Amino acid sequence: MARLARDEDESACAEIVRRFSPRVFHVAHRFFRDRGHAEEAAQETFLKAFAQIRSFAGRGSMEGWLTRIATNTCLNLLRSASRRPELVTSDLSEDETTWLERVSNSVGAQSPDAEQRVIAANLAERVLETLSPEDRLALIMIDGEGASVNDVAEITGWSESKVKVRAFRARKKAREILEKLW
Amino acid sequence: MADIHITNILDETPLASLSKGELGSIRAHTANCADCARAFAAAQLSALVIKARASEAGADALNANPFFQTRVLATWREQRESGWSLGRLWKTTGALVSSMVVTTAALAALTFISPAEESTLTPTAVASTSAESVMFDPGEDEITNEQALNAIYYDEEDAR
Repeated sequence: MARLARDEDESACAEIVRRFSPRVFHVAHRFFRDRGHAEEAAQETFLKAFAQIRSFAGRGSMEGWLTRIATNTCLNLLRSASRRPELVTSDLSEDETTWLERVSNSVGAQSPDAEQRVIAANLAERVLETLSPEDRLALIMIDGEGASVNDVAEITGWSESKVKVRAFRARKKAREILEKLW
Repeated sequence: MADIHITNILDETPLASLSKGELGSIRAHTANCADCARAFAAAQLSALVIKARASEAGADALNANPFFQTRVLATWREQRESGWSLGRLWKTTGALVSSMVVTTAALAALTFISPAEESTLTPTAVASTSAESVMFDPGEDEITNEQALNAIYYDEEDAR
């Protein structure tokens, strides 16, 4: 498939998009909640991949290769946006405030229902927006998805020490922000 | 257990990765330390919301726009075609453009780099034919007044 894509065979490229879209979108949605932004990042990922297909030597999987391109594309897009507002209590919606009050008394007591999960995800996104794109990625992958430090290092090209430092910094900041919101 | 130690444990390791022993120590400490209890609760909340966000990202990835593939391929096709048309344009006009560039470079070199030749009509040459020079500068063929007088009276004396 990679060989055909190198020859600019459109059906091969279409197959690459079809097969790996879920993976690429998953990466994009780690960074962007908005569907339009995620699509923009995913499209840019595939176009870059087609332009660089000759550099894909076949070592490793195409999925891994595309994941790395998608991650770097999203990091670059977020870096260029560079807006990282601080989160204060007055920024929270009524739903979020109510949910925080309720859950602070019984954290971990029961699993949130669907509505609560949406509120929780909203709140998470606000917290994640205050982090650097790199710290955000480390926190989402390790704490959110259960990925290992090595998994993050492979996708990003960072050393394991760097991954640990980023995750530590992100976890600390997220905890401190949520403490202040109560 | 010191406060700073509790928060270090909370920040260094994902909560889900803490051992039973570590969790037990944390709970034992937070029972007697309000600040650490608050920090622990915040860490639990953080883990909860981050998991919710990650789970949402996974679900959203499965609901991609059905026209996404069409859009990507159309954009890719456009990019290739604009690259091709530039290439074709260069192939047809490249020789002409190259020769124009070479000619312009040669003319520029001749104009600015080669030394300029001196003009044959210099100001001094013009001045030598001016009215003043005719009146006041005696030419090589002209005789002086003394020479003229000598010539006249010498001839008269010879004639006597």
